[in-house]
Amino acid sequence: MAYRLGVDVGGTFTDLFLVNDDDGTQHRVKTPSTPSDPSEGVLTGLTRMCETAGISPSDLRNIMHGTTVATNAVLEGKGARVGLITTQGFSQILHLARSQTPGPLAGWIIMQKPEPPASLADTREAVERMGPRGETVVAVDEAQVEQIVKDLVESGVESLTVGLINSYISNKHEKQIGAIVERLYPDFPVTLSSDVVPEFREYERTLTACMNSYVRPQVQAYVDRLDVELKAAGATCDVNILRSDAGLMTTREAGRNPIYGVLSGPSGGVAGALYVSTRAGFPNILTFDMGGTSTDVALCQNGEPTIGRDTTIGQFRLKVPSINVHTVGAGGGSIAHVPELTKALRVGPQSAGAEPGPAAYGKGGVEPTVTDANVAVGHLPSSLLGGEMKLDVEASRTSVQTIGDAIGLELDAAAEGILKIVNENMAGALRLVSVQRGYDPRDFALVAFGGAGPLHANAVAELMGSFPVIVPPSPGLLCAVGDLVAEFRNEFAQTIVKPIEEADPAEVKAVLDDLGTRAQDWMTSEGIAAGDQRVTYLADMRYVLQGYEIPVTVDIAQVQAGNIAQLGDQFDTLHEQLYGFKMDDAAREIVNLRCIGNGAVPKIQLPSGEVKANDASDAILQDHEIVFDGKRIPAKIYDRSKMTPGAKFNGPAIVTEFDSTTVVLPGYVAEMDEFYNILINPQA
Amino acid sequence: MATTTDELRIAEIPTGIDIDPVTLDIIEGALKSARYEMDAVLFRSAMSPVIREQHDEFPMITDPRGRMVVGQFGAYINEMMEDWDQGIYEGDVILCADPFKCSASISHTNDWLVLVPIFHSGELVGWSSQFGHMMDVGGRLPGSLPTNAKTIYDEGLIIPPIKVVERGEIQKPVLSLILNNMRNAAMNRADLFALIAGCRSGEKRVQELCDRFGKETYLVALQALLDRTYAAMKQLINWAIPETPQSFEDYVDDDGLGNGPFKMKLTIWREGDHAFFDWSGTDPQAMGPVNFYLSEGMFKMFIGIYLIMVNDPQILFNDGFYPLLHIILPEGCLLRPRFPSALGCRTHALARMFDVLGGALCKQAPEINTAAGYGTSPYMLYSGWGEKGDFFFAMEILYGGIPGRPIGDGMDGHSWWPLFENIPTEYLEAYYPLRIDGYTTITDSGGPGLHRGGNGVEKRYIYLEPGQVSIHDDRWLTRPWGVLGGLPGGRSEKILKRADGTEERLPSKCDEIEVVPGDMLVYRTAGGGGWKDRLDRPIEVVVKDVSYGLVSSDYAKEGYGVVINADGSADEAATAKERERQRTERGDALAFDYGPPLAEVLANCKAETGLEPPIPAVPLRWSPLEPGDEAQLRVRLADNMPGDIVTA
Repeated sequence: MAYRLGVDVGGTFTDLFLVNDDDGTQHRVKTPSTPSDPSEGVLTGLTRMCETAGISPSDLRNIMHGTTVATNAVLEGKGARVGLITTQGFSQILHLARSQTPGPLAGWIIMQKPEPPASLADTREAVERMGPRGETVVAVDEAQVEQIVKDLVESGVESLTVGLINSYISNKHEKQIGAIVERLYPDFPVTLSSDVVPEFREYERTLTACMNSYVRPQVQAYVDRLDVELKAAGATCDVNILRSDAGLMTTREAGRNPIYGVLSGPSGGVAGALYVSTRAGFPNILTFDMGGTSTDVALCQNGEPTIGRDTTIGQFRLKVPSINVHTVGAGGGSIAHVPELTKALRVGPQSAGAEPGPAAYGKGGVEPTVTDANVAVGHLPSSLLGGEMKLDVEASRTSVQTIGDAIGLELDAAAEGILKIVNENMAGALRLVSVQRGYDPRDFALVAFGGAGPLHANAVAELMGSFPVIVPPSPGLLCAVGDLVAEFRNEFAQTIVKPIEEADPAEVKAVLDDLGTRAQDWMTSEGIAAGDQRVTYLADMRYVLQGYEIPVTVDIAQVQAGNIAQLGDQFDTLHEQLYGFKMDDAAREIVNLRCIGNGAVPKIQLPSGEVKANDASDAILQDHEIVFDGKRIPAKIYDRSKMTPGAKFNGPAIVTEFDSTTVVLPGYVAEMDEFYNILINPQA
Repeated sequence: MATTTDELRIAEIPTGIDIDPVTLDIIEGALKSARYEMDAVLFRSAMSPVIREQHDEFPMITDPRGRMVVGQFGAYINEMMEDWDQGIYEGDVILCADPFKCSASISHTNDWLVLVPIFHSGELVGWSSQFGHMMDVGGRLPGSLPTNAKTIYDEGLIIPPIKVVERGEIQKPVLSLILNNMRNAAMNRADLFALIAGCRSGEKRVQELCDRFGKETYLVALQALLDRTYAAMKQLINWAIPETPQSFEDYVDDDGLGNGPFKMKLTIWREGDHAFFDWSGTDPQAMGPVNFYLSEGMFKMFIGIYLIMVNDPQILFNDGFYPLLHIILPEGCLLRPRFPSALGCRTHALARMFDVLGGALCKQAPEINTAAGYGTSPYMLYSGWGEKGDFFFAMEILYGGIPGRPIGDGMDGHSWWPLFENIPTEYLEAYYPLRIDGYTTITDSGGPGLHRGGNGVEKRYIYLEPGQVSIHDDRWLTRPWGVLGGLPGGRSEKILKRADGTEERLPSKCDEIEVVPGDMLVYRTAGGGGWKDRLDRPIEVVVKDVSYGLVSSDYAKEGYGVVINADGSADEAATAKERERQRTERGDALAFDYGPPLAEVLANCKAETGLEPPIPAVPLRWSPLEPGDEAQLRVRLADNMPGDIVTA
């Protein structure tokens, strides 16, 4: 028997999802997360899972794991003490950052500058200088470097970063300094900026490398502990960690370059959503993952996520390949308020969090939240099926009434207003990943998951014109599904910065071949069979003197035949598509060449059932009432677990299940497909 | 607006229709997103590092009457289109780079302003506009900002409002005439089209909003948003502006031609719900290019932003409150120079204007009481011909010390301008014959205070090819002041260390400095002033600054009364004694600390800075200064605000 286990450690719950590759049977387990040592929760879950499935840990062939250890270390500012070695004259690189203050004008008055991952007291300048063509201007002064390395390590830093000017074009000096550290302090964690991000812009590269050092000891300790404890429990298989670009990496790689997994959590959700939607026949989707404090959205086309070159976490912009997930501070716990000065209705970004939580939870919260508005309009019935708590409807209504009083609206209108504002905020995030990048959201389906996604998805889809809404079974567990379906992935890049007219096709070919070889070697070393290996090539291009690049897919056969001119035409087309113009008199420049290695993993089979048309009346739990357009109208509450493929029913309807509630609005029709997804569409 | 077109239909804003508050908030949010999208589109496609890396650009969306509903600098459409007679059609794009032909909505010829009319079902529903700083717009010197310019004709091509696209058709002859005057036409072209692309995205969003909510609802919402800001500002004016006139003054050091310093004086007072901002007492306009032609609308926006920032920062800045503010700018003063005065280097007076505004507002509104910052926009320009005969031209905007603030220390070496960023060293070195020897902040240049002023920046440029260098900076003479017991920040300076071992001081404004390979320019910008009593700064924070190298041990004692031990810790007993001693010696803390009086500063100028002091400016024959009371009367009549003439 071959079992695979997906494990997603979230802020509140650790979700586990087990699949038997031989017969497709599956099991789910949900257990509280243990933030002080997340591996405890994983072990607890694993033990329960083995009991439930009647297997032993040694039956597991793979464990795929999404973790927020790195994310939390950054967000909570609880990483390691990092020492930084810079080029002489640049010790204040992180302190100066990009010198930016926020808008609008006078935004500096209220700016809060975050502490960088390496403090100025722990930063030293190395005597060395690399030129912009990879030529040594000043050689590394080994004696001086030994001195500063000793100085830093003896002073108690836990992790080192080497970030030198122009190391993107030649990493010679960084390697040399790395070797000195290794000689003086074997096995001391050291991160070279050219290893983590071999691309230009010294601040972003150094920052990213320092963040890697910052989270490294913690992630290393975590994966080591996890390995040990899993072995002790009897598991013999490998553990793989999900990267921010929804690829997998080994725990060894995760311990060395943990920053690649800084958005491991959200990327699991996107991978899961893509799997579900592609199977249902919708390869173009917007993902909509709404939780308690924030909502993550992403766009995927042709069954592939869009992967960006950078990501923002907290106040830091990091250069790591990541799924273009956009996060907005709007969730079930977001607090509605009315500023005295303008009397405008604002929702969030402040959140009631888990404590005290929405008024409805009866844990002492009194401020009106999005959840309370949902309760007030009837979208969240007072007792949730399988829910652990009964919702305090009166408390919700009282809290929402305060908004009504402040803005001069009746209770129902105030509650609907809160929902409309928060839906609009989330639609704004979806617009950012779609229309602002040149995609028409009407060509995309909306996949809703997370605790609150299915509650709001219908309304948000209406704003975006994105149908159908797809609500997968157990929407709260989708991240763990994503961990299971992710492929191995790694990127290899080389910066060249050359106008295409001046680039030597033979050189381009040589660089790409080298990158391709490295990708294949990496996959082979990860134990991926030759038949499961896939290699794709990209060129990041721009017009000379532009500062942002557009990735252009490289047809490797053309390059091998000596043709690179077509890359320029492809770039022109993309530029015109994105920005509405192309330039005939500007040189087109190749900035980076990249190669992505993907190692396929066997696909899991989630259950399906025979579609038999029915009206879902067997699944009706009770009659209900919701507020819609200022009126109270009758609605039905359904039990999703009693629904069968082919069930079709009209809104208004509320569908409840173990970990989520789905709202179907008036004027819409919902249908359960053969994979137990609920698809919501406008009525004909 | 005057247009001869028979076709143009300007949408009427419906009256008597109520809009529900939620729809209003939704439209507000959508307009805000549209404005940020305009930025994003521009950054990603522009070529000039000044726009793309440094973000010297400003987007705006207006209502059908040309009033700004979202943006940063206030509306200018009406003034600009006053004499327009070439029709306005869907698909048009209007370009302007003449400050004297758009009521100073752009303040020098380097700013190219693009205007796109937005139509919905055949009617004009608004304008989308964006302007950005072009690296070069022709003329005598690369960068088009000569520090010794005497009229605007020295400052590159002056483009009056002109269509570069008509009904979707690019006007090739017009474009060709313009680009023919530019040193790097491809870059100007790219940046122009990037500005247009940004405006088009704003246009598209507005059209979508009209589709979604209906044109009428959309327009009613715009009016409601303007009204909302009007009501909010009314409260703020009553709260923040005193009825008794209150004045503040500060200086721009020199005009690049050896004249100066130039006084800028602002008096503010309130009459009922209305506020007056009177610049009488400001010195006459300069011969050199430091004049800042201040747009009234823009100034109103600045006032509003200062007042609103501390209350509901989520509010949409718009023109709604304009009728509440009355701006008096005497003709012929530094801030209202007459045509054809030189305007290129206006950022010094622009930045000083904020210092003066902050100073004047601050007694009544302690929440926005900050010190002064590095107070300008320091530029470094370097051009020449490389080994292969290729022309190169680098330009960089530097930053400095942010003022000490109520919320905390001023940032070291950060941008006072919103959203501006520095240019990566690796970018400069990859594209220009430059090596950056170091980029850091200057120890002890931040003014001591309970909250320290930010340190100024030191950037060391090594030139690798023969060429010419220009410098634009200020605050080399007068100091960025501290407040309520904070001290002033350090002054700027420039040292050219020649490859041959000699060293010279350069003035803060100069052009055509010949450099040879190996010459190094040490460019130091000013720091920020400190906020509140420097002797109350927590000892551990001073210790941390010393350990970070941001403050020296000596200055820890001199500026903060903190005595630092050899191991870097503080000697608490000695500190208590030293602080007591300094308190006694000082007496009461000053409300504003400018450092030594101006006469003393001028007397010590040569000894302290190595440069000759500026000479008081002589008024220009062709631009006599309008007396303050006449200017006030003119404004009272125009704004329909009868009342006695108020004097400071």
